[in-house]
Amino acid sequence: MTVLEGQPQPVQRMSLGAGWRRAWRTGDWWRHLGLLGFLFFMFLPFIITIIISFKDIPQFDHYPFTVTFPLHPDNYLEAWRIVSRYILNSIITSGTSVAGMVVLAAIAAWAFARYPFPGREFFFFGVLALLMVPGELTLIPAFLLVKDLGLLNTRWVLIAPYIAGGQVFAIFILRQFFEALPGEMFEAARIDGANELQVFRHIGIPLSQSILGVVAIMHVLSTWNDVIWPLVTLRSNELMTLTIGLYAFRTAWYTIWGPLMAGYVIASIPLIILFAFTSRLFVEGLSSGAIKM
Amino acid sequence: MTTEEIRAPASRATVARPSAPLERQATLGERIYRYRFVYMMLVPTFALLLTFNYYPAFMGLYRAFFKWDIGLQPEFLGLGNFEKLFIRDDIFIKSLRHVSLLTSWRVISAVTFPFIVAELIFNLRSNVHKYTYRVLTILPAVVPGIVILLLWQFIYDGTHGLLNAFLEGIGLEDWQQPWLGSPKTALYAVTFMGFPWVGGVTVLIYLAGLQGISDEVIDSSLVDGCSGLRRIFAIDIPLILGQFKLIIVLAVIGGLQGWVAVFVMTAGGPGTASMVPGLWMYNNAFLWNKMGYASAIGMFLFVLIMGLTILNVKFVKTGDY
Repeated sequence: MTVLEGQPQPVQRMSLGAGWRRAWRTGDWWRHLGLLGFLFFMFLPFIITIIISFKDIPQFDHYPFTVTFPLHPDNYLEAWRIVSRYILNSIITSGTSVAGMVVLAAIAAWAFARYPFPGREFFFFGVLALLMVPGELTLIPAFLLVKDLGLLNTRWVLIAPYIAGGQVFAIFILRQFFEALPGEMFEAARIDGANELQVFRHIGIPLSQSILGVVAIMHVLSTWNDVIWPLVTLRSNELMTLTIGLYAFRTAWYTIWGPLMAGYVIASIPLIILFAFTSRLFVEGLSSGAIKM
Repeated sequence: MTTEEIRAPASRATVARPSAPLERQATLGERIYRYRFVYMMLVPTFALLLTFNYYPAFMGLYRAFFKWDIGLQPEFLGLGNFEKLFIRDDIFIKSLRHVSLLTSWRVISAVTFPFIVAELIFNLRSNVHKYTYRVLTILPAVVPGIVILLLWQFIYDGTHGLLNAFLEGIGLEDWQQPWLGSPKTALYAVTFMGFPWVGGVTVLIYLAGLQGISDEVIDSSLVDGCSGLRRIFAIDIPLILGQFKLIIVLAVIGGLQGWVAVFVMTAGGPGTASMVPGLWMYNNAFLWNKMGYASAIGMFLFVLIMGLTILNVKFVKTGDY
């Protein structure tokens, strides 16, 4: 295997068809079989969801899991009318909090990585220790805090704690990355008369785009999927994010499976679009070995 | 990592010092003054952390020792909440058994199935195929978690569900159940959902480890006639113990914190047949306003998670750091 990896260029240029033929010859076929088996079961629920999303009630009652005609794309219209608001809310919440979080975390991580200021390790430990604090411990006091601050049932009740909490992991990852950047480059810029802000903005940030992207995507995923915090802090339907909106939708439309499944499909699309544009970043970031103990 | 940095701050200082080294040793006050802009950089971060993370964390620990119902004056109980929790609260004790089952299965499934998939992908010869499979395995991970939970709820549904339809298809009508609605099966249904238990992120973490094994090691193992399963057990697994350790820690934490799945799927029911501690805390706090008692459960979970993480990091040794 490693012998072949020594010459990756021809392998990558090879067409897929030739790749499969070669896979058959070299005895990789059983690996493909195993992987396709796993993938089949991983994707089965989603395939069935899409099939059901095009059914009306009688079609579902008679043939629940096979494709039936005529298809009912109007299910999607019906679901869109309900789900679109939740999607917009989630985009606003995750978008605002990820922007704020990345800016603050990058600045703080830069401070920790590049300046030997007194108390550096103490403050860094102060951030790191929070990685050990589970949401269970803080849920109740945090709820009472935002209640006292009068934030309940506003957008800020999600955004502010998301920025605060998201920083912790991001600072941890970014500091490691910033520390590994070659110091000579920054020294050279300083000799050329760049001030500290310029060094950060024009050299540090451009060199770190990929890791900033990884940190941002992970934050979007976690805030997008959060259930409990929006559930306890939001009351009005206008503000609900996707997770709790879908939960309410399921409760209200239980057994009207067609539009319900259409709603699940629509709800999955934004993240899939995000993933389509960033998959390389995402896969490389997670595979880079930056994340281990 | 941190201890090393504490021991050798001087060497690092020469790398990152913004201005020319001073002639004499600067006093602490001077150094603080010189780095005043660095402290300014940290102010927004710490303002938020103190408000939304530190204050609630300490408040949670503090209020665990109080009887604290909403609208009433908090009343100090000492260890009263914990005494009630472990001696008189049968549902809590039951929930501990449930969460052990959930967490054990999470750990077992996280160190087996995703690792098998990672090995299969790693040993493919074509880089194009490797990349394709990596993207395909990660794809389900971007479907929102709530959608997956609601889908599994549908799969287990008693009248319309996929699982019952499948059992009927292969002639096992007798086995049909309202899987989430029956006290006998609810907990197991929640535990074993997610078949085939291949988390895309977990696969990628294993793959990262496998790719980090140097070619020399694998080549020399081939020369020595060590290949296939033998290589996996003799070389791959020992060399990526760091990744296994991370996955185990994440699975344990995920299992103890995974009560949201239970909340969405069964709400702990029927009755308390699938109750877990996190959900029991939620119910006490937000259904019955018993904030002090719920804080005690939160503190218990905190201590448990931290203890298990420290144990894991301490006793599962790896060579790579």
